[in-house]
Amino acid sequence: MTTATGALLRRRIDGTFAVDPWGLDAELVELLAPAARLRWDIDVQGALALPGGPLALVANRRLGLSEPWVVAEAVRRLGGRHVRWVGIPDVVPVGPGLRRLGGVLDRPDEIAGLLRAGEVVGLSLGREPARRHHAGALHPEVLAPVVETGAKVVPVAVDGRELGRRWRVVVGEALEPAVHPGPLAVADLAEQARAAVQHLLDRL
Amino acid sequence: MTGERVTGLRATTGAGVRALVTGLGGELGTRVALLLEARPEVEAVSGLDIEPPRRYLERTDFHRVDPRDRARNVAIVREFEPTVVVHVGTYEPNARCSPKAAVERTEAGAIGVLGAAAECPSLERIVLRSGIEVYGRGRGAATRPDESVPPEPTTPFGHSLLHAERVAGVAGDVADVPVTALRLAPVMGPHFPSPLGRYLRLPAVPVSATSDLPFSLLHQEDAAEAIVAAVFAGHDGPVNVVGDGAITASQAARFGGRLPVPIAGPAWWAARVLAEVAGSPVPDHVRELLVRGRTADGGRAGSVLGVHPRWDTIDVVKDLFQWAGVTYVTFGDAAEEVA
Repeated sequence: MTTATGALLRRRIDGTFAVDPWGLDAELVELLAPAARLRWDIDVQGALALPGGPLALVANRRLGLSEPWVVAEAVRRLGGRHVRWVGIPDVVPVGPGLRRLGGVLDRPDEIAGLLRAGEVVGLSLGREPARRHHAGALHPEVLAPVVETGAKVVPVAVDGRELGRRWRVVVGEALEPAVHPGPLAVADLAEQARAAVQHLLDRL
Repeated sequence: MTGERVTGLRATTGAGVRALVTGLGGELGTRVALLLEARPEVEAVSGLDIEPPRRYLERTDFHRVDPRDRARNVAIVREFEPTVVVHVGTYEPNARCSPKAAVERTEAGAIGVLGAAAECPSLERIVLRSGIEVYGRGRGAATRPDESVPPEPTTPFGHSLLHAERVAGVAGDVADVPVTALRLAPVMGPHFPSPLGRYLRLPAVPVSATSDLPFSLLHQEDAAEAIVAAVFAGHDGPVNVVGDGAITASQAARFGGRLPVPIAGPAWWAARVLAEVAGSPVPDHVRELLVRGRTADGGRAGSVLGVHPRWDTIDVVKDLFQWAGVTYVTFGDAAEEVA
């Protein structure tokens, strides 16, 4: 057993591993990475150098079961950052379990707090189970805290079959934050983000 | 208590500050009084509580009075004519008294003291010790609320604190003075009476098997310093004061070399009975914290009070378990030390 493995085991036993205020256990995510590699073979393309600071990733989804994990794993491999995927149910034991892996509640104040803390937030477009390369709708309200905090929005296209292993993730260029915050800026940004994801999907 | 009503204390114009500290018999109240005594701007300190202060106070005038004795509280406040009321007299269930007495003392104390203070022409500001328990932890509630999140308490302690905030708000409106409601994370530290602290120091600590969510803490020294900073800042509105980082109950137990015992459902009832027998009753807000976690965004404290907690949550837990045992000193040693 190497020194690093011994130290990791000691931290898991004596409780000295870190859990952030939203419940993310980053070390647990690292431990589960080999299992994720077995489940998903992910090919990441596009703008591979993600900007630093707070980010909102906007990604398409079909059924929406694999996409959050695929995007989170792709981003973790790119720069070691953890995506806080929005929309977990607040029901035991599922909710607390998903929080450990980076899930957060779908609340504007939750998203705003994460962005203020410099985190990467994952937002899903509306489900499109029947159409493979189609960006669903994005409710502007979801982006209100993004505009409020001045975070950049990064469009992401995800392609793969729910029962398959091969997935493709294409990361787009970051959209600049709105200069004048307000309802119009939020609506414009939501449309821009959806169009950018559709553009990435069209090129697949 | 919603606008940005900021006024200068008399200290800024050369006159002295007259601080009335409620809850003086608690660790926090005593520490706040000590810090106020050390400030040259403070002309006089007067304190109220049902128990005497926990340290020797040099220039604090202490009144031993039950918070439920409204007539005496009102008379003391009127006679003292405070420029600032530091209302630390919000009682945590099972910390220094039973849950029932805690609610009664908190509600009666807020009405008596803050109501009387509002009628004093000398009053310039109110500082209230509240807690992040006011946000509640109901299903779907914000995990790390900031001050913009509307309070929705889900425990008797949370309701009691919110009631005190509302009474302080009305008193502030009547007197037209700023009210700073400091929403403190659960306060802990050596010698600090805390039901959570006692629980985590049990040899075996029951924790939730299905929902072991993180909570944040605040060290007693940071809490006292934030309260004193609020006295001189004069901010109008709520401010969260929270130590950095978070920890889960099972982690905290293991930090202290305790055995975490995962339980669920009806086993909580048995765990609470056993803990009470072991001298560590578990009030509702502590049980909620153990299961649902409790954190808040403390960013505003830095910008409006100029304070940032020096102890993070992990440090507070370490401090809890490093609490030194009692050292017995013989008469001969003590006399030698004095000489």
